[in-house]
Amino acid sequence: MSSDTSGFVPVCKVGDVADPGKAIIEVEDRLLALFHLDGEFYCIDDLCTHDGGPLGEGDLEGHEIVCPRHGARFDIRTGKALTMPATSPTAAHEVRVEGDQVFVRLRA
Amino acid sequence: MIERTATNTMLTADGFTEEGFEAFLAGRREPPWLSRVRREAFGAFAAASLPDRSLEEWRRTDVRPLKLGSWTVPAGAPSTAEAPKALLHEDVDLAGQAATRDGQAVDAWLDPALARQGVLFGSLDDLLREHGDRLQPYLFGRAADPFADKFAALHAAFWCGGTLLFVPRGVAVERPLHMISALGDGKVDLGHTLVVLEEGAEATLLAETASTAATDGGLHCGAVELLVAPGASLRYVNLQNWGQGVWHFAHQKAVVERAGRIQWTIGALGARLAKVNQQVVLSGEEAEAQVNGVMFAEGRQHLAYVTRQHHEASRCRSDLLYKGALQDRSQLVWRGMVKVDPDAQKTDGYQRNDVLMLSQAARGDSIPGLEIEADDVRCSHGATVGRVDDELIFYAQSRGLRRKEAVRLVVAGFFQQVFDRITIGSVREALSRAIGQRIREYQET
Repeated sequence: MSSDTSGFVPVCKVGDVADPGKAIIEVEDRLLALFHLDGEFYCIDDLCTHDGGPLGEGDLEGHEIVCPRHGARFDIRTGKALTMPATSPTAAHEVRVEGDQVFVRLRA
Repeated sequence: MIERTATNTMLTADGFTEEGFEAFLAGRREPPWLSRVRREAFGAFAAASLPDRSLEEWRRTDVRPLKLGSWTVPAGAPSTAEAPKALLHEDVDLAGQAATRDGQAVDAWLDPALARQGVLFGSLDDLLREHGDRLQPYLFGRAADPFADKFAALHAAFWCGGTLLFVPRGVAVERPLHMISALGDGKVDLGHTLVVLEEGAEATLLAETASTAATDGGLHCGAVELLVAPGASLRYVNLQNWGQGVWHFAHQKAVVERAGRIQWTIGALGARLAKVNQQVVLSGEEAEAQVNGVMFAEGRQHLAYVTRQHHEASRCRSDLLYKGALQDRSQLVWRGMVKVDPDAQKTDGYQRNDVLMLSQAARGDSIPGLEIEADDVRCSHGATVGRVDDELIFYAQSRGLRRKEAVRLVVAGFFQQVFDRITIGSVREALSRAIGQRIREYQET
């Protein structure tokens, strides 16, 4: 998958992810959780900062994703850790939608 | 543990296909017993899926980005470009050397005086053709399980380009032997290391891996078997220094018999993701193992080491010390286990892991464990994870050191405890130098 000059990488079509819904995607060898909610896309690392849990396999409750291992919650818009046992944010990435194509650009 | 079942649909979804396996096997011209091992292992490999994070051992190690389909058995002529520099034998008077390149044996020599005493050292591929019957009791015997997981099965089915050290009864190899496995960018290494020390034999083997460039990618899926007979003594050093794009999977096991001794030092510096199972089995009374680990990770490296000290017999000693430092966004996972069987009374077992964080974004998971079935033993463990002590840095700076120098000093002090245990000067210096070169200033974010 090649990235365009601005570093945004095409990851899927808008219709590929239900609304509300989520998908696990791979960008530059990193696994990310992509969320589709109320017409917007959000993207964070598929990684709970507490225990390395797979966030993309958790339940989405509003703008919060619940880690399936120990219940830590993260804001899918910012990656911020909202509840114990997680205390550090997980990385949140930039998402851009052009037409029906979804692009992601990695941060950190 | 994967199921030991054959499958009718052996076509795998990756590059290690049944067709490729049959072609590989046909080209090997090996003893039938070894082909049987390979065939069973291939069945297990084809039937198993990649380990996922629901398995406790893989809980923190994510191999989903690994695309096995993009790799295949090493083939074609190995690179003739300049080989990566070996680190471990500077100023060491060696008794022999063996080298592999891009997963294939390229060069080996051994002091003729040792060869006359019956020592075998060099390409396992070649020596197996000549000494197959002699090696049959050892190869994939007690110290390698082809069915441990998909990577163990892949290795057992397709291994090639390995190295053998065989030291006959009562022979002491005074000078160290050295082996290096070098890998070009995007290449595959499936090397198998077999070390056999017969009763009362002694040897020191310095093993290292290296990539052509520090950022190179590739795949290593290997195994190490160390067999130490009664009264024998082995010093084995294994420095993993692949490029930071290499996937490194290895099952490494030593079996030490009555009154045998092993000093096993692991250095882990390279690889994008390393998953290593290191096991020492003390199978005879009064056997002794000292295990030293020195790890340094940076960037987004993920190093996962699962260690096991298995006391099968009484009055054995095992002492494990792993120390690791983490920089940038790297991760280190250590899971240790001291297992004491019911008959292993008077066991003395110890394990310790210390992790030093040089960055807030790094992550260290240190998980010691004890499983003791005997009632007259001394077993203990310890684990620490901490950041660089600001007071130490402040003190060093107050004595005129710059911050970077102060951090280096603290890190050097952190590793000194494990360096003090390593009895081979060139190894101590190589590890110390390599870590010194990697340290940057302590990062707050």
